[in-house]
Parts: sequence; structure tokens; C-alpha cells
Amino acid sequence: MTPVIAMAAARYRYPETDHDALGPVDLAIGPGEWVGVVGPTNAGKSTLCYVIIGLAPQFFGGRLRGEVSVFGSPTASQPVNERSRRAGLLFQNPFTQLSGARERVDEEVAFGPEAHGLPQAEVEERVAEALRLTGLQDLRARHPLDLSGGQLQRLALAALLAMRPELLLLDEPTSQLDPAGSRALFDVLRGLHAAGTTIVMVEHRLEAVAAMCPRVIALGEGRLLADGAPAEVFNRPEVQASAGIPAFARLAALVGKGPPLPVTFESAVEALRG
Amino acid sequence: MARGLSLYAEGSSPLHRAHPLTKATLTLCAIGLAFILPSWPLVLGVGVALLSLLAAAGVLRRFLFVAAGLLVPITLLLALVQSLANPHNQTVILPLGPLAVHREGLYIGLLAALRIADLVAATFLFSFTTRPADLAEALMQRGLSPRFGYVIQSALQIIPQSLETADRIRDAQRARGLETEGPLPRRARAFIPLLLPLVLSALVATQERAMALEVRGFGLKVGRLARYRIPDSLGQRVLRWGLALAVVAALAARLRGWL
Repeated sequence: MTPVIAMAAARYRYPETDHDALGPVDLAIGPGEWVGVVGPTNAGKSTLCYVIIGLAPQFFGGRLRGEVSVFGSPTASQPVNERSRRAGLLFQNPFTQLSGARERVDEEVAFGPEAHGLPQAEVEERVAEALRLTGLQDLRARHPLDLSGGQLQRLALAALLAMRPELLLLDEPTSQLDPAGSRALFDVLRGLHAAGTTIVMVEHRLEAVAAMCPRVIALGEGRLLADGAPAEVFNRPEVQASAGIPAFARLAALVGKGPPLPVTFESAVEALRG
Repeated sequence: MARGLSLYAEGSSPLHRAHPLTKATLTLCAIGLAFILPSWPLVLGVGVALLSLLAAAGVLRRFLFVAAGLLVPITLLLALVQSLANPHNQTVILPLGPLAVHREGLYIGLLAALRIADLVAATFLFSFTTRPADLAEALMQRGLSPRFGYVIQSALQIIPQSLETADRIRDAQRARGLETEGPLPRRARAFIPLLLPLVLSALVATQERAMALEVRGFGLKVGRLARYRIPDSLGQRVLRWGLALAVVAALAARLRGWL
């Protein structure tokens, strides 16, 4: 099966820097996978998203070496706005993801589908669906700037969902959310994953990554440190040293359980009982 | 709800429902006539017509409230300067020591103020009854580039977005002990440390927004479809042409010396 994302010896260097921010990375992500990306600050997590979506190097400049393709198309040759037909990226800061030109939540969500030239009836259908998925139906007439940080993050996600991407890249989607907001967002992502959307999620809440992502990638200094199931990745010493470990694993380690350390709540309870 | 630089006031009057280009034509023609027509009764007539339209749109009170603060000082200033210092002044109507108020200058000053009042009334009539999004949509349906339409709409949102950012920066600085409230000198001192982060964050936000717009498909070469239908009618088209012809006729009459 053709991978959704294929990277071979991919390296990326930002302009006017003397080292690669990412790479070399070899990676293949298949359709319908949900992959968590973890790593410390400056590990190259956001850069990985930019390279996949094509912003690096198309927007930033710099130098991309190796091969990177998304849905079989090399990222270097396909404009980012063209790729937006099938892939979306949710940035860390929802405020800067607003178009800055719309006065209502529903109009903001409609911005992308309209840019794609979709008929108005389909735009309205997609907007209604995206607002329902993100729980923003009751706020559709509000001005985007009247929303809280968590609501803004959901609006940014709704704006992406309205474009019905087959690949969703999320760069720390819960950075502005409280625990309830994070849970609501993860519920939406579970639904999308169940519907077949491929998700790549950069996330610093390791417990959430371990609980939800069947596959985890750990990055360190731009390189791939580990790639596998959460229990496998979070038990690698180099991952523990750089990205850290989920709280449940830390708790189990403190009471002398493991290795291997349990990385999810359920496995930790089981280990602690045992 | 309207926010930002938009002054739009919700309403259901015929003016609110009129096509944005009809209202834009009305505004531009009223301003044109106010400056072309030579005598104060005619300029006043334009003003009365505009006030009637403002009243019909249910926004007269709002206009008077805004205009009072704007037009009264301008009128006083123009009347004073012109009546005292216009080179065509001849007839003294009020001696003031070494100075004197003159009839000719007073007339010129008041006429200029009346024209400015017409301009302000016409502009507010348009702004109070037209959503910026409707104007941009109407212009794009007439062939304006979506990029330019985006510029029109986003320009109207710059101020509230900057205020939002400034509030966040001010809150962060207050949390670190900076006094941002109190007497004017203290607030002025607090303004300086606000400015640099505000400018820097605006630059960063611009870059991030440009990326986000790309990711949302902005700039795709697709045939843009109308977001919604903005009702137009034969009557409105006739009115637009009629207004434009009235301005041309007034200009011709003025140049010919018939007015």
C-alpha cells in the first residue's frame, strides 16, 4: 500500500544556519495511522510538520535534501495551497490561524472551503459538520476574537476539518487547552481516526500520546530516536533521557515496577496491583 | 455582530438591504455633489437628504452622537479662521480689537464645514448600513481579485486584533509588576515596554498567518464561487446610473457657469 507520508534520507536546514534542523529521517506512515511525535524542545517536531506539509522549504527557504512525498507527490514540487486539498496542519497558536478577515465563527470555518472554490451548498454542509464535530455550533454567530483560547483552538481545528483532509498534522494541539478542552479535542481526533483520517500529532502530554497513538516517533536533535508502539518507544533509554516518560511510567519506576515500564494508565494500574 | 473598524449597525431598513454598490454610489455621488454645488442652500439640501436617509435607516441618533464630537470643532475652527483671515474678507460684522469677523470669510468657512458635514454623513450612512463582508463579496462578484477582497476585510480587523494582543502583553507585564494603570504619566511610561513586544508579535503573527493561509488553500487558482447572493434589481441599477449622471450634469453645469 502506498504510504501517505514517505521520507527517505530527508534532511532540512533552515536558511542562514549551519546545521540540519531535521534529519536524516527515513519514515513511512500509512493510511489511517495515528502517529504521536514526541521529543524535547528543538528536537525538530514542528520542522517535521513543516517539511511534510511543504512549508519547509517552500515558505521558509532553506535546503531540503533526500525525498519527501505526501500521497505520492514530492513536497518540493507541489504548492502548499494545492496540498491543502488533502492535508491540513494545525499550528500551535490558534490566534494566528484565523484568517483575520472574517467576523463570524462560521464564516471563518468557511474560509478554506471557499478558497478551494467549492459550491456554497457544500461549503455550508462542511461548515455545519466541522462545527458539530468541534462542538462550536452554539458559537457560530460569535466573533472569533470573542472566543476563549480553548474555543479558538477548536475553531482552528474546525477550519481544517471543513476541508476534509485525509492527512491531519497537529503541532501541539493542546498547548492552549485546559484538561476538559484537551479531552474534547482528543474525542474529536478519535472520531476522525475511526473514520480513516491519517493523523500525525506532535504532543508534549506523553500520557495522552501513550494512551491514544498506536505508533510513536521520538525525535532528538532532528534525528529519529525511536519509532514503534508506545510501550516500546517509552522504554528506550535514549527516549527517556530526552523526551521523558509518561507520568504513569515514572510512578511505576518509583515503586520499582519494570522494566519494562507501563506507559498507560491501565497498564500502570495493572503493574501496581501486581 | 460587527467588530473592528466596521461601524455597521444591524438593521432591516431598505438601505440596509440595498446592494452595497448602490450605497457606495450614493455615498460617492453625495460627496461629489456637496463639493461641486456652489451655494449653501444646495449643499444644505444634500445634507438634509442624507440626514433623511440616516433617519430612514434608523441610525440618525448614532450619527449625531458621533458627528457632534467631530463636526462641531471643525465648524468652529473653519468659521473662526476664515472669518478672521480669508483674503477675500471685506465686510466687518464684529470687530474684535485688532481683529474682525468678516461676512465673506464666515460664509466660506460655514460652506466648507457644511461640505465636510455632508462628506461625513455620506460616509457614515454607508458604514452604518453596509457590512464590510458584503462590500468585499459584492466587489469580488464584480471581478475584484479575492486577494484584494481579503485585504479589504482583513484591514478592518487589524485594530481589534492588535488590541487583543496588546491586552495579552499588558496582562503579562502587569503580572511581572509593571504598573499599567493610574495617572497619565504612569500609563505613558507603561506604553513604551508595550510597544516593542507588540510590534515584534505583529511581525511573527504575520508570518504565521501567511503560512496558515497557505495551508487553508488561500491563493489557489480556482474559479471563485459566490459565497451568497447579494440582491440587486433593475431599480437599483437605474438609481446608480441616475446618481452618476446627476454628478456629471452638476459638474458640467458648474463648469458652464449655469450654477
